[in-house]
Amino acid sequence: MRISPNLLPMLVVALVVLALYWPIMYLVNIPVAQRALDTGAALPCQTAFECASQLRSPVLPSPQQLWGGFVSLMFPLDSPNAIPLNAAVTALETLVGLLLATLVGLFFAVGIVASRAFERALLPWIVASQTVPIIAIAPMLVVVLGQYGVQGWIPKAIIAAYIAFFPITIGIAKGLQSPDPLALDLMKTYNAGSWQTYLKLRFPASVPYLFTAFKVAMTAALIGAIVAEISTISFQGIGKMLAENSRASDVVAMWVIMLASAALGIFLVAMVGWLERLLTPWRRAQVAPRPKARVAGREVGA
Amino acid sequence: MKGWSLLVMGFALQIAFIVRWWKEVEVAPLGLRLLIALGVLLLGVGLARVAAQFAHARNPLLGFTPAALTLLALLVTAEALLRAYQVPPGLVPTPTRVVATLHGVRDVLLQDAYQTVLKEALVGYLIGCSLGVLTAFLVSRYLFLERGFLPYATLFSSIPIVALAPVLVKMVGIDWPSKAAICAITVYFPVVVNTFRGLTEVSPMSLDLMRSYAASEVQQYRWLRLPNALPFIFNALKLGTTLAMIGAIVGEFFGANGQGLGFRIQIEAGRFGFDIVWAAIIVASAVGIAWYGLVAWVERRLTGWHVSFRNG
Repeated sequence: MRISPNLLPMLVVALVVLALYWPIMYLVNIPVAQRALDTGAALPCQTAFECASQLRSPVLPSPQQLWGGFVSLMFPLDSPNAIPLNAAVTALETLVGLLLATLVGLFFAVGIVASRAFERALLPWIVASQTVPIIAIAPMLVVVLGQYGVQGWIPKAIIAAYIAFFPITIGIAKGLQSPDPLALDLMKTYNAGSWQTYLKLRFPASVPYLFTAFKVAMTAALIGAIVAEISTISFQGIGKMLAENSRASDVVAMWVIMLASAALGIFLVAMVGWLERLLTPWRRAQVAPRPKARVAGREVGA
Repeated sequence: MKGWSLLVMGFALQIAFIVRWWKEVEVAPLGLRLLIALGVLLLGVGLARVAAQFAHARNPLLGFTPAALTLLALLVTAEALLRAYQVPPGLVPTPTRVVATLHGVRDVLLQDAYQTVLKEALVGYLIGCSLGVLTAFLVSRYLFLERGFLPYATLFSSIPIVALAPVLVKMVGIDWPSKAAICAITVYFPVVVNTFRGLTEVSPMSLDLMRSYAASEVQQYRWLRLPNALPFIFNALKLGTTLAMIGAIVGEFFGANGQGLGFRIQIEAGRFGFDIVWAAIIVASAVGIAWYGLVAWVERRLTGWHVSFRNG
């Protein structure tokens, strides 16, 4: 396996950011620490410099604090208050939501592609809804669904689905329309029915588009699931941890949860990429042998 | 023409029922509910036929007619069904009630919109976009930054912003700057990635031409790379309008100083004031669409030469 040429510069950038973090952390925390000392609060430290890395609610938490928070929130692994279990619940909601969104999206996409009338009547609203902050509907949907007895993780999955639905619909519709007109003509000369055309040509052609849409929709669904958890009474999930620690003003814990959910988002999207490589190997085979066009001494699309 | 008559009959049925049941407080009898079902059927079939007539309309206004009729039919049906089954307005308010509320609380909502849009979303959007374009120029100029920074920028797009919101609200304070910061961060990364693509995906032939003209690097950027990047930049700017609105609204879920559309939605949803929630959503949507339209309009003015507009 070839080592990516990005690796070394990425490491350098990460190191520079880390090296800058310490001085910046002290810079912003020392005034806060000084004020805390001036009020005569009982602190386990004498100088402002010492206190800066141990503040109860720092502007930027010190790396030691982050590590401490990470350890206390990560273990024991199966504790209901630890990150792993809650992250798993949120991930489950997100994935079920994505599945639901795909089913509904498939229906709408086929409608859009198969019938001009359907497209004319609904597509403008599907597009317009993408320019609208859909997330605003989440708090209300949770309460309404709760009133009709839909509780637990299901309403969160529904909201995740609701938010992920639009990119998926557009993605599948684009994919279904993507086959070469020549290939469509060929299907016609084979006397293939529209059902066969969909099964043998349009659906396979839409798979790459589906994965591109999945990557966008995955993040959207995760956001939907977390917002849904925040806006209702929930007992599990990243959103519940965020809301709890936000109320308790536990800044260090909030940072740790933020980093954990970032990792969760990256992990879920990476999973999609991995699945994509697994399920559409022909795309890689098509792309790989082509020599990359070089622009001004650098690779295009690197 | 058959589609139209079906449509008109469907609308007439629903509206007649709404007028008849306007003041009633009981669930409508089975016969009337069947009439509503008949109306829904008529509307559905009528819409399908009418939409088919407009399927190849060239005029954008005519092409939009079926969509407008669909919305209208949905609203009328929702109103009729909600009244027929007497769903408590505290749970799902009827469309007319939402419109009335929108009118009633317009001053409050306008103030909220001012806070959310002009202070938070717009300030964050402008900061995020300008920093993003600036970064993209640097990244496209220096290969080291492209290799070391760009992968992080793409990585950032898969991070859920909601997790960022509470931390920033704690760090910057609950007033509007914290929400502007959230918007700036969410807008920044897509702008960097897209602008970078636009600046670098130039045709090698054009670059060779620039070189044979002995064009300086500044000239290269001014006359080749920037014009080439404009469509990409505008794509990011359009995407950014939505992201900024979402960022501002989600940010307000975690603390606001008593104003803002997100704050209003959160508070009113918690005490079953769903008519106000819907009104706030309508305002947010209208602002979102208008903002997007504005950016799209500027795009057409600046990049009217681009292929994607030639057949419009």
